[in-house]
Amino acid sequence: MNRISLTPPILSLLPALALVPVLAVVVTSVHVGGLQLLFEFFGAAIQPSLDPTVVKSAWRGLQITVATALISWIISTLLGILLGIASASVVWQTCIGKSWPAFLIRRILTIPRAIHELLWGLLLLQLLGLSPWVAILAIIIPYTTLVARVFSDQLDTQDRRALNALLQAGAMPFPALITALGPPIVPILMSYGGYRLECSLRGATLLGVFGLGGIGTDLQLSLQSLAFKEMWTALWMLAAVMLTLEQSINWLRRRQRANETTTNQILITFALMILLMSLGLPWLKGLEIDLSSSISWNPIPWPTLAELIGALNHLQWLKLISSTILLTLLASGIAIGTPPLAMMLWPSRLGIEVQSFIWALLRLIPPPLSLLLLLLSCQPSIAVAAIALGAYNLGVMGRLLKEGLEEQGNSCWKALQSSGAGAHSSWLYGCLSAQSPSYLAYAAYRTDVILRETVVVGLVGGTGLGWQLIESLGSFNWAQVILLLIVFATITLTGESLSDYTRHRWLRSTPKPPLVLDLQS
Amino acid sequence: MTQILELRGVKVYGYRGDRLRNIDLTITPGERIALLGSNGAGKSTLIAVANGSLTPDSGIVLWGGRPITHLRQHQRQAIGTLWQDLRLLEELNVAQNVNAGALSSRNLMWAIANLLYPLEIKACKECLKAAGLSTKIIFANIRELSGGQRQRVALARLLRQRPELILADEPLFSLDPFLTEEILNLLLARTTRGPVVIHKTLLMSMHQPDLIHHFDRVIGLRSGCVVFDNSSDELDAKALAWIYQSE
Repeated sequence: MNRISLTPPILSLLPALALVPVLAVVVTSVHVGGLQLLFEFFGAAIQPSLDPTVVKSAWRGLQITVATALISWIISTLLGILLGIASASVVWQTCIGKSWPAFLIRRILTIPRAIHELLWGLLLLQLLGLSPWVAILAIIIPYTTLVARVFSDQLDTQDRRALNALLQAGAMPFPALITALGPPIVPILMSYGGYRLECSLRGATLLGVFGLGGIGTDLQLSLQSLAFKEMWTALWMLAAVMLTLEQSINWLRRRQRANETTTNQILITFALMILLMSLGLPWLKGLEIDLSSSISWNPIPWPTLAELIGALNHLQWLKLISSTILLTLLASGIAIGTPPLAMMLWPSRLGIEVQSFIWALLRLIPPPLSLLLLLLSCQPSIAVAAIALGAYNLGVMGRLLKEGLEEQGNSCWKALQSSGAGAHSSWLYGCLSAQSPSYLAYAAYRTDVILRETVVVGLVGGTGLGWQLIESLGSFNWAQVILLLIVFATITLTGESLSDYTRHRWLRSTPKPPLVLDLQS
Repeated sequence: MTQILELRGVKVYGYRGDRLRNIDLTITPGERIALLGSNGAGKSTLIAVANGSLTPDSGIVLWGGRPITHLRQHQRQAIGTLWQDLRLLEELNVAQNVNAGALSSRNLMWAIANLLYPLEIKACKECLKAAGLSTKIIFANIRELSGGQRQRVALARLLRQRPELILADEPLFSLDPFLTEEILNLLLARTTRGPVVIHKTLLMSMHQPDLIHHFDRVIGLRSGCVVFDNSSDELDAKALAWIYQSE
């Protein structure tokens, strides 16, 4: 008897069906006048402005963004490690024989993690005014808790036999923990740390788009004034930094695999962090951004119960929540389904390289900017927001798929090629099949990220909870802001639990998942 | 008789010396050839060159008188390989794996549909039966199968491909005596059963000299060179020692 089998490669391709309704809506809402502007934008890519004033301004913005990202990354990583240790069950069990404090700390840490850095940025802007610390703190708060979660997860899933053996032999708890769990955890942490630096850089750029300084602000201002050539000057400079960072991290990962000793890794990492930190602060000061200046504190007036009830009744919750979920599903479909579909249709070496280049470009432009670009020629809708959010994450998924395939080896693909299978079919069976469980596991995590990021395009695109949040913030309606934050955090945490479940399900069916999958959670 | 496969002056370089050195070889239809040689002698490399998955550093491989590199993709269907590591698709079920053997004559839409809903089940079942497997496992996941079952699924996939020449890379490796006999009989059989056609041209690498009498011809490889190429009757203890002698 035949039976339908939703095999991993099919599940990797199926999300691409989201393209059908999204493109149908977008194509029907395009207005020709705006298309001219879009062509101008793409045309400007090959002739960016080389005006010294523009280059100087973009260079300054880039330095601010990089320095902000570096400082935020170092502080959040160090704090995250400490909180990760404090929220690891294995640590408490070894030290006091009970694990409830770890559970409690983990629960507390879910709250700052559930709120996107952009929301933190906007909230802190209200609380602290326009201070350089706003962008740094907005990144530090969620990233610290993300690092803590990954670190404690990693500590708790390590093999405990060596630890038990040491404790049995009479070792003290902390020395036993460091000796047994230190060596396996350090390479994982190093790899994850590199990834978080990339995230910090993207985060700092995004915050700039919303007026918190740096290259993001330059990009936003150029786009608003339709100065595409100036915009491309900043974009290419940002691309150079991003690419250098990606390549350096890949190089470090490869070097790390090539048997660098653990002690050396720790020493090199901490030396690098201290060096970067000591450079970052004076660097910002040199750019006339003084972090030592005093911070003003403007507390938010706490709303009354009546105001909260009023806000609860006033907002259209069903519409707001459903549009956020629909946006997440459509953007995730585009991000997850498009890379395998494109690679299957054009699997030659040239095809993959061209696609990689396009993905790199898509990763470069923050979603709110690509949404603004699309809005030049389309009417605002969930579909347009889904394309903007999906395209950015598509860039990330495409890169991950390519890297996974490169690590996987090509024996099955070669076997199918030698049996006469066509290029498309042999890629589908010989390459995607083996890679798809890992890819789907990562896709589950990415969907979780996309859900958090709906707020980013929502702010620009007039859709979902994000849009309502900016409206409420703008009108200083704190009752609405608080309720919206609670709802958003609840949806995010529910999404996180679903994503965790799916991810672990796929990872269980993968004999040897790529290291990166374990880490980017 | 016209040769179907010919290797002329084939050389493959490796990091630690040459993997194949100046190999000249012809295979004619109907031949059943045993490929002997110690580990690292170049047997797997020779098979990879013969099926076109490895391009030699010098020399040429001809299929039906044409360079193998000039064959159209679907024409490669005529050369079937039973890989030492089987190269089964672990994420798919048995039927989908067996159908992977038919991809050379099917289009992409068929390939996608087969991943969603295994197609041509009747043909799959015939191949499974011919490979000595129960059809009950047709929807089983590859991961659930035993080593012997996996070996037979790979064989069923090869039968589904319907090749003219079978290149088998140590298919008897790590099999018990009973299974060895069965797999060998399947590869050597000259039968046609429904859609299943087992061709008689076979090149098989192996380490069991006691099974040589099943073959017409023996090729001995040592350090990438052909040091013996004769009728299986001519293989005596001295020749065997010569093939397996270390440098």
